[in-house]
Order: sequence, then structure tokens, then C-alpha cells
Amino acid sequence: MLDEHYRYLEAIQNRRDYIEDQIQAGSPVVGLVYNDGILILTVTSGQKIYEVYNDLALSAIGHTADVERLRLLVTDAASVQGFQSSVDDVTLHRLTHFVLCPPIKQSFESIFNSPTIAKILMAELGHPHQLVAVNYDGTTRTSQKAEVIGGTDTVERTMRNYMGQTDIRLGDELTLKQAFELALLTWAVGRTASSATEYGFTLDPDRGESDQTSEAEDFSTDELIGFVRAELEERLVEASILQISKRSKSKFRRLTADEVEDMMPLDSDKAQNNK
Amino acid sequence: MHTNRQSPNPEDLKPAQHVLDQVVDYQGNFLDLLQAHSIQLQFGRNNFDGANTVSLTRLSGLGSAATMVNPSEQPLTEGTTVVAVRYQDGIMVAGDRRATAGNVVMHDRADKVLEIDEYSVMAIAGAPAVAYEMARTLEHSFQYFRRSQLQELSIEGKIRMVSRLIRDNMSLALQGIGGVIPIFALFDRSYLADSSASTSAGRIFFYDVLGAQFETVDFATSGSGSVWIRGVLHYLDRWSDTPLAQMDLSQATNTILRLLDTAAEFDAATSGANVKSEIYPIIKTITQEGVQGLPVEQIRQTYQNAVLSRTMA
Repeated sequence: MLDEHYRYLEAIQNRRDYIEDQIQAGSPVVGLVYNDGILILTVTSGQKIYEVYNDLALSAIGHTADVERLRLLVTDAASVQGFQSSVDDVTLHRLTHFVLCPPIKQSFESIFNSPTIAKILMAELGHPHQLVAVNYDGTTRTSQKAEVIGGTDTVERTMRNYMGQTDIRLGDELTLKQAFELALLTWAVGRTASSATEYGFTLDPDRGESDQTSEAEDFSTDELIGFVRAELEERLVEASILQISKRSKSKFRRLTADEVEDMMPLDSDKAQNNK
Repeated sequence: MHTNRQSPNPEDLKPAQHVLDQVVDYQGNFLDLLQAHSIQLQFGRNNFDGANTVSLTRLSGLGSAATMVNPSEQPLTEGTTVVAVRYQDGIMVAGDRRATAGNVVMHDRADKVLEIDEYSVMAIAGAPAVAYEMARTLEHSFQYFRRSQLQELSIEGKIRMVSRLIRDNMSLALQGIGGVIPIFALFDRSYLADSSASTSAGRIFFYDVLGAQFETVDFATSGSGSVWIRGVLHYLDRWSDTPLAQMDLSQATNTILRLLDTAAEFDAATSGANVKSEIYPIIKTITQEGVQGLPVEQIRQTYQNAVLSRTMA
């Protein structure tokens, strides 16, 4: 099969298509820097946001078994490194570049082996904070303010556009409540966009394939809140923070159900009534 | 020109097993993980070749570091005094500050009450290098279990891990140069109060030098100075106006400072408070709020009132 060069490229493209197909319906994850650290939020029925080390958290989208293997790999590496040298030597840069990316890329390019169907989002408290998204092919995107992972490129682009067009300034001036609200609405935008993909919304013929976004980014806040409420009948908001002001060495904490309830955004009717 | 080659057999082209296939689940056991990475812990285990650089500074007042110890002799309890007491809000743990090698004071600000995680503390008597390494390993082990298994290690599990580390240290302990006799105190947050008075959320575990574990109810003390205050603790607990478990924070602090002062009176290897240099015993409490260290100013104040004078009951 490989005696013709272009067959390899075809195989790789098939692999991409297969992984994209498997991953597209996954619940997106949003990571946002705020004034006391970093918030990571998604909606799920289980657990998707994990503590890796004192200042490090990991979340993912994809097949559970593959995510689990990657999570164990990163957690083990961090724990051994922290013990052998010191806690301060465990950094996001080392974990993504030397521990996570090489095996993921290797797994992607080994066309005769089963693929690893996962996208990873990692966050680190530091000076400055860092969020890194690792794609299933081993490529990375880094941000010091906000990062997202979603089922498809379209979903991710739509979420990023939505975050970019709000009045809120991204970064460490956000309060936790502001960050929570923005993250939840961004998640809703991403989720709606992926549902639209599932149902096969029409692509805009005037835009190139890499510019496709969903009209979800134009949904109003009330529409998005309504969508979230519908989703929350079956699943729960999972929001975890890396909190600078936390007293213990490990800064990771999952927000309680009460805290989540307090921060849920109200639609404009409810907001009016409360005034 | 087209060369007629046979297509390579896909089986031959399979790359070697990649890293992700080799990920193993250690069920949260940090020591197994280290072993898989060929990391030897710095104490105990098969290190008879002398490459083990256990420091010969020890918290002991007995014999000099250079003395050859008869391996068949039971190592005597090491110089120092550490004490753990159950009181109203939880557990109070304290230790003196001196580290000696023979009759030489190596360090006068040693911290012998080590925080392992948010709700547990280890007080150490014995070789400091080994003890610190043990505490560090424990800390990492508890964290690793929680991170990989997504739930906190149970009380039983934590106790057993301490036991295992001490047992692994057996070879050094029997040579008389690396023994560690800790007190392990923790606060069981999942504890539900029942009518039995002998149980509580605060629990104290005492170990011997070979790793056997004993749970004590009200107090534990370890080190060469402990013999002088064990009787006192028993007396206070049974016949004083306030049993230890009912003491509040200030009563407990008074009592513990007086006990350490008593130990320092009779044990050369236990230091009392050094008022001139402002070096006081380290005191930590474990309560519902977790492990907290008493501020030096508070200790100094209490020392003035409860030890240097008799203003406090």
C-alpha cells in the first residue's frame, strides 16, 4: 500500500476524517483566566476536568479510554518529576512538549495502529498563566487568557469568535462570576454549533472551508441561556478552578453545586424581576 | 521505468509499540510508580554498599556518629522530644528544635513536626535525613493517589503507607544509623460522632522502629525525652481537673509547653525554649480547618505566662 507516496497522504487524510468523525459530538471545554487564577468549564454527566499537579489541570474531549491513558501518562510524569527534582520543576511546557505531544503525534502517524481519539486542554497557574490546547495530531495552541477545545475546527472557531466579540475584556481582570458566565455561554455557542453540524447545516458557499463558522455565534444571550437550561435537565455543569488564593499547596478545586447555582446567569426577564 | 516490486507486507511495517500502549495503571501506588522508573528511595532497601548517603547527623544524643554500632543491639529511642495530644478541637502536635550528633549541637532550629497533607502531620524522632525523605515520599504518595484515582486515600491506606516506609527502612534501622520513630496524627473529616467517647475525628498513630503501628487514643510521645513526660501525660489525663481531650486551645498549649520544658530539664538532647534567640518549640494543630501552625508570638506569650511564671492555671 505504501509503495506509492501519495497513498500515505491519503491514509493520513482518512485518519483525520475518522478521528474528526468520532470526536465531533463531544462536549466542548472552555478555559478562562480570571482575577484569582484559571477557570475550566464544561457540561457533562461524569468528570472531565482533572487535577494533574499543584498548579496544573487537564481536560479533554474524545474517547474516554484514550483520554484516560493520556491523563495517566501526564499525571505519572508530573508526579515522578516533582519527586525526583522538585515541585517547581513540573511545568506545563515540559509536560506538553516532552510528555504529551510526542506520543500523540506518533499515535496519529502510525497509520497501522489504532488512533488516539482525544483533544486535550491543559492549564497552568504561573507568571503568566498558560492554557494549551493539544490537538489529536500533536499540534498545540497556546494562550495566556483563554483557550477552547471542541469537536471540530468550526466549533472552536465559532467559540473563539463569540468570545472575541463580547464587551468583556479577557484576562486577569475578570471576576469568577464574569468568567463563569462567559465560559458557560461560550460552551453553549460551541455546543449549538456542533449540533448544527450534526444536523448538517448548510455551509456558506462564499466562504472557504477554513473560514466556516456557525451562525451560533450570533445567538442572543437569552437564547443561549435557554439552550443551557435544556441541556442541564440531563447533565451538570462541571467547573473547576486553579485558585491562587487557595491555602493548600495544590491549587485545584472543583466548584460545589451551590457555587455553580449562585453563578448561573439569569436571562433578561429574571434579571429584571430581581431588580 | 516501472520497477515491479512486491508491496511490503503491512505486518512488517508496524512500528514498534508506542508509548501510549505502555501506560500502566499503578492503582495510585506511588512506590510502584517510582520502582517502574527505576528510582530508588534514598533510605533502606538493598543499600549495603555504602553508596547510600544518609546523613550521619541525627536527632540523637546517644553515642557519636562515628561509633560502630553492634547490629544486634536494639537501637535506643533517639534524642529529641515530640508529643501529640488530643484536645477539644482536634490534635496538637509539638516538638523541640534541637538536632545533635553525639554531644555536638548540629542545628538548633530543626522542624520535627512535618505537614504531610491538609489534615495530617508527622512528628519525627530519629535520623533527620531519613525522616525528611520519608515525609516527602509520604506527601507525594498521598497526592499521587488522589490525582490518579480521583479520590482521597483512606485513613487506613495512609496509615499503612507510613508503616510500609518504616519497614522498608529496616536495614538501616537495624544497623542503628537510620532509625525513624514517628508519630502520625490526622483528622478524619468523614468521621461521624457517635455516643462512644473513646473515638473522635482526631487520631494518633504511634510506630516502633520496625514499622508496627499502634493507635493511641489520647496522646503519644516519642524520642529520648519522652520517657520523662509519658508518666506526666498519663497522670494529667487521668487525674487533673481537665482531661486532655477536653482542653481548649490555650490549655493545651500551656500543657504542651510545660511538658517539653520538663523533658528538656532531664534530657540533654532536648532543647527547651531559647528565649534570648527567640527559638521556641514548634506547635501545630489539626482541626476541622486543617493543619495550622501556632504563630511564634502566641507561643512566646504562652511560654512567658505558663512556663516562666504561674499566671496561667
